[in-house]
Amino acid sequence: MRKPYVIIALVAALVFGAYLLSREEPLYHTQSYVFGTLVDISIYDEDDERARSLSNHILQDFQSLHNRLHAWKPISEGKPSELGQLNSTFERGRMLTNISPDLVAILVDAKVLSVKSHGLFNPAIGHLIGTWGFQRDEFSAVDVNDRKIKKLVKSSPSMNDIVLENNTAYSKNSAVKLDLGGYAKGYALDLAANYLRKQHVNNALINIGGNIIAIGKHGDKPWRVGIQHPRAPTAIATVDLPDGWAVGTSGDYQRYFMLKGKRYCHIIDPRTGYPAQHTQSVTVLVAPQPANQSQAGVLSDVASKPIFIESPQNRSKAARELGIENFMVIDDQANIFVSTNMVKKLNWLSPNVKFATLQ
Amino acid sequence: MLNSPHCNNLRAQLKSLTQEFLAGDWLVLIASILCVIYLFQTLWTNEHAAKVQIRLGDKIYATYSLNQQREIHVHGKLGDATISIAQGKARFSKSPCHTQYCVHQGWLTHAGQAAICLPNQISLELLGETKPYDTLNY
Repeated sequence: MRKPYVIIALVAALVFGAYLLSREEPLYHTQSYVFGTLVDISIYDEDDERARSLSNHILQDFQSLHNRLHAWKPISEGKPSELGQLNSTFERGRMLTNISPDLVAILVDAKVLSVKSHGLFNPAIGHLIGTWGFQRDEFSAVDVNDRKIKKLVKSSPSMNDIVLENNTAYSKNSAVKLDLGGYAKGYALDLAANYLRKQHVNNALINIGGNIIAIGKHGDKPWRVGIQHPRAPTAIATVDLPDGWAVGTSGDYQRYFMLKGKRYCHIIDPRTGYPAQHTQSVTVLVAPQPANQSQAGVLSDVASKPIFIESPQNRSKAARELGIENFMVIDDQANIFVSTNMVKKLNWLSPNVKFATLQ
Repeated sequence: MLNSPHCNNLRAQLKSLTQEFLAGDWLVLIASILCVIYLFQTLWTNEHAAKVQIRLGDKIYATYSLNQQREIHVHGKLGDATISIAQGKARFSKSPCHTQYCVHQGWLTHAGQAAICLPNQISLELLGETKPYDTLNY
């Protein structure tokens, strides 16, 4: 006589199990090509329609920022970007130019970071970057013009040459050409995170061309990020990003060309004018920052460069000067160095990864 | 049900059957159970990817099983790219882009691995049972 109950209970369990398996996670995920790179946005626990419209808003903001801050591409024929206009007035000498308040804020912040990094982060070296052929959508090996490079280094363009007053700017040095390639993506991350928080989104993950910022969590787990191996199409480790944290990597494998068996990457040492060739990648993990300082997104973009460029013995110093406690370096010999704080945060994806600890 | 005559009959038959089992029969039975467990574990684990997802621009272009040998032609922003699938792995094998970074990435074999062709706006990602991470830092 118990038979019907047993069968009913079994069927109920099966249906419930099937429901649990089939239930879709409340995760909205989108990928788009804007900002000259791949933008990947995940929003957790929001209505799909709302998540879609929020993402579209962010993507539009990115696109307009991209158009305004582009270092070499005009908005349309004969109409340079806002940054392009500024650069052409810098080149023509001491000419006062009106710029928008947010660009002033960007330049003030970039200047502070440039000074802190002793000029290793230097967005004023646009002419050098152009000479190496990295101000093109599709770059290829260039003829290395040693004399020209020497001359550009000697002209010592610096963020300190730029004078900012009441929403105007001019440069004391006509060799200054701004290229915000190492800043803009991080700035866009902060912009997007602030926007989502204002819209009361509690859980999201934003990835702009490899620079990532986290808001809240992925359900009951923190957001998990894979760190790309510089020489293999796979992740080398993962890190969990708590609320407000950002992560950024500078690598010699994203924009580079090969010439006579040597790799020339887009990260140029402003002191020599040549690409840094002793590092494969630098990853920095950045905690949320106080309101009156450079924000986590910006730092995740900027701070990896000085560590990448600096000599092996001075890497920790370069990190310290920008307030970075968590970082990992993979050098040209594939040796891995991890800062003491970062060791606990990394989950290696293959067993027996050998690394040295940096103080 | 368990006490019905029909069921009793079945149990008796099963009992007589197992009593007639020889060592070899047991061996075959145990071996086949082990085989099923082994297959279950190797084919159902997260590590090995089951599918490749191709994205074109901001859309999912298609998702293919990795359990086949085939070439897929996708028309990207610059032109036609060829993606090869061969027994559990996938790669860009031809691309109209200048740098050819996507082709140099080679075979993708594990869930979570991805290859992106920025100029042609095509990306490949291997999918498994679970994602090892939410996004990739590169």
